[in-house]
Amino acid sequence: MEGSRQGRIKNPLRRRWIRELRDDKGKYIALFLFLTLTIGFVSGFLVADNSMKKAYDDGFEKYNIEDGHFSLAMPIPDDLKKDLENENIKLTEQFYQDEDISKNKTVRAFKIRKKVNKSCLMEGRMPKNEKEVVIDRLFAENNGIEIGHRIKLGYFKYNITGLVALSDYSALFRNNSDMMFNATNFSVALVTEDGFNRIGFKNIVFQYAWEEQPGENVDYKKVEDILKDSGILTDYVRQKDNQAIMFTGDDMGGDKAMFIMLLYIVIVIMAFVFGVTTKSLIEQESTTIGALRASGFTKGELLAHYLKLPVMVVLIAAIIGNLLGYLGMKRIVVNMYFHSYSLTTYKTLWNSEAFLLTTVIPIIIILLVTFLMLVRMLSLPPLQFLRKELTRKKKKRAARLPNWSFMRRFRLRVIIQNRLGYAVLIVGIMMASLLLIFGMGMKPLMDSFRADIENTQIAKYQYVLKAKAKTDVKGAEKYCVNTLNYQGKEDIMAYGIKEESAYVKDIKLPDEEGIVLISSGFAEKYELKKGDRIKLNETYGKNEYELKVGGIYEYPPALSIFMERGMYNKVFDEKDDYYNGYFSDKKIKDIDERLIASTITLKDMTLISDQLNDSFGAILPMFGAFAIIIYVLLLYLLAKMIIDKNSQNISMLKILGYTSREAGGIYSKATAIVVVCALIFTLPLSERLMRVLYFYFMKDINGWLTYYLPAWLFVLIPTIGIVCYFFIHLLLTKKVRHVGLAHALRSME
Amino acid sequence: MYLEVKGIRKGFGEGDSRVEVLKDIDFGVEKGEICVMLGPSGSGKSTLLNIVGGIESADAGAIKVGADELVGMKEKDLSSYRRRHLGYIFQSYNLIGNLTVKENIEVGGYLSDNPLPIDDLIKKLGLWEHKDKIPNQISGGQQQRTSIGRAMIKNPDILLCDEPTGALDYSTSKEILKLIEDVNAEYGNTILMVTHNDAIKQMADRVIRLHDGAVRDVQVNESKMRAEDLEW
Repeated sequence: MEGSRQGRIKNPLRRRWIRELRDDKGKYIALFLFLTLTIGFVSGFLVADNSMKKAYDDGFEKYNIEDGHFSLAMPIPDDLKKDLENENIKLTEQFYQDEDISKNKTVRAFKIRKKVNKSCLMEGRMPKNEKEVVIDRLFAENNGIEIGHRIKLGYFKYNITGLVALSDYSALFRNNSDMMFNATNFSVALVTEDGFNRIGFKNIVFQYAWEEQPGENVDYKKVEDILKDSGILTDYVRQKDNQAIMFTGDDMGGDKAMFIMLLYIVIVIMAFVFGVTTKSLIEQESTTIGALRASGFTKGELLAHYLKLPVMVVLIAAIIGNLLGYLGMKRIVVNMYFHSYSLTTYKTLWNSEAFLLTTVIPIIIILLVTFLMLVRMLSLPPLQFLRKELTRKKKKRAARLPNWSFMRRFRLRVIIQNRLGYAVLIVGIMMASLLLIFGMGMKPLMDSFRADIENTQIAKYQYVLKAKAKTDVKGAEKYCVNTLNYQGKEDIMAYGIKEESAYVKDIKLPDEEGIVLISSGFAEKYELKKGDRIKLNETYGKNEYELKVGGIYEYPPALSIFMERGMYNKVFDEKDDYYNGYFSDKKIKDIDERLIASTITLKDMTLISDQLNDSFGAILPMFGAFAIIIYVLLLYLLAKMIIDKNSQNISMLKILGYTSREAGGIYSKATAIVVVCALIFTLPLSERLMRVLYFYFMKDINGWLTYYLPAWLFVLIPTIGIVCYFFIHLLLTKKVRHVGLAHALRSME
Repeated sequence: MYLEVKGIRKGFGEGDSRVEVLKDIDFGVEKGEICVMLGPSGSGKSTLLNIVGGIESADAGAIKVGADELVGMKEKDLSSYRRRHLGYIFQSYNLIGNLTVKENIEVGGYLSDNPLPIDDLIKKLGLWEHKDKIPNQISGGQQQRTSIGRAMIKNPDILLCDEPTGALDYSTSKEILKLIEDVNAEYGNTILMVTHNDAIKQMADRVIRLHDGAVRDVQVNESKMRAEDLEW
């Protein structure tokens, strides 16, 4: 007899999960997509970010990036050089010439660097003779310039033989004080020594880069004093303050924090979605679980069974998400970086931190929430499952509702019944709206900034002079200008203007010494108001000025202060008739170009918005698309869960004579009400959050783009959400139609 | 006859595994009668009730309720038929768990253009004290009363009861049967009740015995017992 006995029967539940997957494929596909895309999106970003950051960080040693540089009005005198060398500063000549190759496009030509700030050849070859040049890869890309093209530097044309990335110009800042780099209108270039001489020396800048001597400490305070005391210093930038070198690295780090934050917001929402849908599944299978538990199945066996599918979905999503990240998303992010910065070559590196952050921790969070939810629910006694009384509280009372119509009360009961699911939905909608605000709001913000510049432009031409110069151009108005530093990181333009200026309009200048008007951009960024005191320092001097804010002048696109010219000269200890610039709506042609330090036109002012548009143009729509995917998946998962959970009731209602539309409508309208309310009422919260994040991230950027979101965005975002829900509604209406009458009858048996 | 069932056939499955559940069922019920369908498990009585209720379709035959011919009706028309003419009472009540007693009854009332006054009905059902409770706060008998209220509020022409006392104890069962009897007396609804409890036949005007998918006999009771006098 023993021989004929069947072996031990395997757990029959093991076959069930495949059926459950098949029966509820919509839910698992949505969860899978949600996770895969999130993990893919963020891991791709982190891998690219890490690989490129590593290449960037290694570049400091590999390309021997300078520890700082300064410019002088003339070649360095021997005694100054000696003084600096005594401070352990080893100087390298790094003269350059800025040449306009076309209207508004400037190329800064250096001699080929051999020791400091070496370059990385990205394509082609280095110049071999005086007629050849290599230029920045990104600038070439942005302007459709290719190897073999010719550009004019000075009086002569040069053949482009290659495209390079200069290690000290990963972000193409023309001046360190510029608000933003500009890879469209500004490039660096390398020529041979003869090629450099061939340009001519009309625009030469005597710049010197330095390296710290290994093992020696440098007293930078002393170095700075030596340079300032020389009286010929025109520019002084230490590596840590050099935006052309540091901006890229800072930006990479900043984005990482933002992406990880995004990931964890999504993961927490996902964890709750898993938790809520698991709870709903247990509720739906209550009697089956009761029967199994009563038959002797242990809690552990059921726990393992119900955990199996989430574990598999999460693991497969993690694997595919990572593959997607390494193979697909990484390229998008790399392209984005290469489209913003002049980066050197990089290698894709395995990023264990990214794997931990995007895969291991999210899996643990999701599975832990699911596990805890299951443990909590499965610990109820079998009888409670059989009776479908899945609550620990003793017979809950029904909430009292106002005397509304039956249908309204019914819907409200549905909302109360599914409050946990709806809470997750509301938080998810809020976060998706935040992403959508970011994805859709940045472009109008930049456009608005551009419009602000156009509308509030002081003059068509703002000339800054090296020395006094007279002009006969009608309407030209003298002014004083100076760049000061605020809080050690922000450049502030101090203007001294004529009372009742024809250019700075509608301004009531304070007549008391030490009281200034500040631009609205300055006030907004640093939350300054009338009566506040501000301390400004000379950028290349030692003086500090404490000024009182006398009012705010509506000038959003720049951080500046305004005072009457005479007052300016008093504050900055200049002669009474001092001025160093002209405002003019006509081009001034009767001043010797050598006396003009710079000319600021509309184009110069709009650089930042153009560059931001260029850099983020590709990624912003991705945020929008990602937000829409979150909307759709969340809405689908939770709306479907509510229909699934109530399918017996829907079936029952149909038996009683309700049409599919009426029966489904009770549940889908309840969800629709929550969705519409969430879309409308969480939008101000999302906007508030966006504002906080915007101010936080903008603090690190020079200058200020007025925070502006157009009114239409607040109509468009809920509309997008509603349209998404409409499609989900159509999908679920079909599902409701398919809930058979037999469903309720079967459940009864 | 108000309800006429002729030649109803119903089978499940295909080929060798096909089982004929109903085989040429014929019977009729007069308006206002209490008709009890008796039979052991698997005799096809619930399937027959579901076909009369328009929940399941018949493979062949005809069902006429007043002027309506059920077989061949489209889903939308069947839904309208259930809405206009039927009330349903189930063994396991099938109340909506998150609605109160009163709201569960309103679920039925919503379907009627002229529902019975709800408060009166709740009082009649003995549920006034419990009207704001949800189903899991009340007993099985009270839940079945609520289910009767849900069916009765629209004062249906036909009340279909599928083992209405199947899940209840003896005394509660009698209370429910009495309630059904009272409802019939007051509102004159035609009642079609499926049960396997042989004793219940004594309160019926007409008794139909089903066995193995066929009508074994139809008996018209000349004298009925009151529900409260039933014993089993």
